[in-house]
Amino acid sequence: MISTVVLSTGLALILIGVWGMLTHRNILRIVIGFSLIGTGTHIFIVAIGYVANGTAPIMDRALSVAEAPARAVDPIPSALVVTAIVIGLAVTAIMLAYAIRLYDSKKTLSIDAFTESKW
Amino acid sequence: MAELIGSLLVLAGAVFHFSAGLGMLRMPDAYTRMQAGTKASTLGNTLVLAGLAFYHPSWTLKLVILICFVLMTNPVSSHALARAAYRIRISMTPQTVVDALRDAPERIRGRS
Amino acid sequence: MIRRAAIVLAVALFGLVFANLAAHYAERQSLLPLAKRYVELVPRDLGAANVITGILLTYRAFDTLGEVAVLFMVAAGVGLVLAARGRRNESSPGEAPEPPRPASEIVQTGAQMLVPLIAIFAAYIIMNGHLSAGGGFQGGAVIASSVILLLLADPHRRLDLDFLSYTESVAGVLFVLVGVAGMIVAGGFLDNRVLPVGQFGAFFSAGAIPVLSILLGIKVGCELSVIIDRFRPELSTERGSQ
Repeated sequence: MISTVVLSTGLALILIGVWGMLTHRNILRIVIGFSLIGTGTHIFIVAIGYVANGTAPIMDRALSVAEAPARAVDPIPSALVVTAIVIGLAVTAIMLAYAIRLYDSKKTLSIDAFTESKW
Repeated sequence: MAELIGSLLVLAGAVFHFSAGLGMLRMPDAYTRMQAGTKASTLGNTLVLAGLAFYHPSWTLKLVILICFVLMTNPVSSHALARAAYRIRISMTPQTVVDALRDAPERIRGRS
Repeated sequence: MIRRAAIVLAVALFGLVFANLAAHYAERQSLLPLAKRYVELVPRDLGAANVITGILLTYRAFDTLGEVAVLFMVAAGVGLVLAARGRRNESSPGEAPEPPRPASEIVQTGAQMLVPLIAIFAAYIIMNGHLSAGGGFQGGAVIASSVILLLLADPHRRLDLDFLSYTESVAGVLFVLVGVAGMIVAGGFLDNRVLPVGQFGAFFSAGAIPVLSILLGIKVGCELSVIIDRFRPELSTERGSQ
C-alpha cells in the first residue's frame, strides 16, 4: 500500500514534467519540467525496492544485524538513485549553460525565437 | 493523548503548507507569491516538526535545532530572492499601494 | 490547436501506460537473492552499518569512480560552453554589464551566522556515511551550498579557482591510490579492508569507507563550487586587471 502510493506520486510527477516540457515556451520552464521528470523517476525507482513491512537497510537500534535479511528494504535501488541524482544535476547544469548562451544570442527566453533548426 | 496533540499539530502544518501552495498559484505578482510561499511554508515546517516531537519525545532536542535552522535559512533566502527581483525591475501588480523601497534612503536600498 | 490536441494525446497515452504499471504492481514480500546477499555481507565483511554506503563505496565502487568522472566532465563542459561569453562581451561593447550590487545587510549577517553551521553540518553528514544515512555525495552538495551562500553575500568575492582545482585533483588521485592499495593489500580494487575494519558501529570502523567518503565529499564540493562560479557574470575588475 505504501509503496503503491509513493509509486503513483512518482508517476504523477513524471506526467506533470512531460506536460510542462511540451506546453511552456520559456526555456527555464522547460528545464524545470526536465528536472521534474528526473525527480519522478528517482521516486519511482526507490519505491520499487520496498519490501512489505520493511525498514531502511541501516543497522542501528531499529534494525539489528540478525534480523536484517528478513526486514530490510532493498538497498540496490537506493544506491542506483544516489548516482542518478548526481547525473541529473549534471545534465541540468549543462542545460542552464545552454539557456544562458541562447539568451545571449537572441535576448529572449522564448524558444519560438529559435527557428534555425526547423524545416 | 500526546499522539492526539501531535497529530493535530501535523495536520495544522499540512493545512499551512497547502495554503502556501495555493497562494503561490493565485497571487497576482512575483513579490506576493514569494511572501505566500515563504511565510506559510516556514510556519508549516515548524508545526510539523513540533507535532513530530510529541510522537517521539526523545528527538525533542534535535527537532528544536531543526526548527531554529529552518527559521534562520528560509527568510534569508526569500529576502535575497525578493531584493534581486526588485532590482531587475520585475513589475508589481497595479493594486500595489505602498512601495517602501523606492522612497528608502540610498544607504538601505543600495544602487538599483 | 493541433499542437494542444497532440500534447493532450501524448500526456494521456503516457498516463495510460503509467496507470497500467501502477495497477499491476504488487508489493514484494521478501528480498531478492542479490539484495539478501548484500544485506548479509556488508555488516559482516565490511563492518559498515549503512548497507547502501557499503555497496556504493566497496562493491560498486567502480561506478562511483565513473560518476566522479562524469562530474569532472560536466565542470569542464560548463566551463567550455560559458567561456566564450566573456570574450564575446569584450568584442561587442554595446552594453557593458552592470557592476555587481552589494548584498543587503540581512543576507550578509545571515551568511556570517550560517556558513560555519552549514560547514559543520556537511562534515557531520560526510562522517556519518558508514554509520547512518549520509555519505560523500550528500556532504559535498551541502558544502557547495555554503559556497553559494558566500557568493550571494559578497558578490565581489572571487573564488580561488587554482586552489579548488588543485584540491579536487589531489582528492581524485588519493581516491584512486586507496583503490590501488586495495588491490595490493586486500581483496581487490577499492576494497575497503586496507584499513582495519574495527568494531561494528564505532566511529572509526568500516575500514577505508570513511576515508573514501571524505575524499568524495571534498571532490564533489569543489567541483560543484567551480560549476556555480562559472555561472556568475564576469567581474569588471577581473577584465581590467588583464
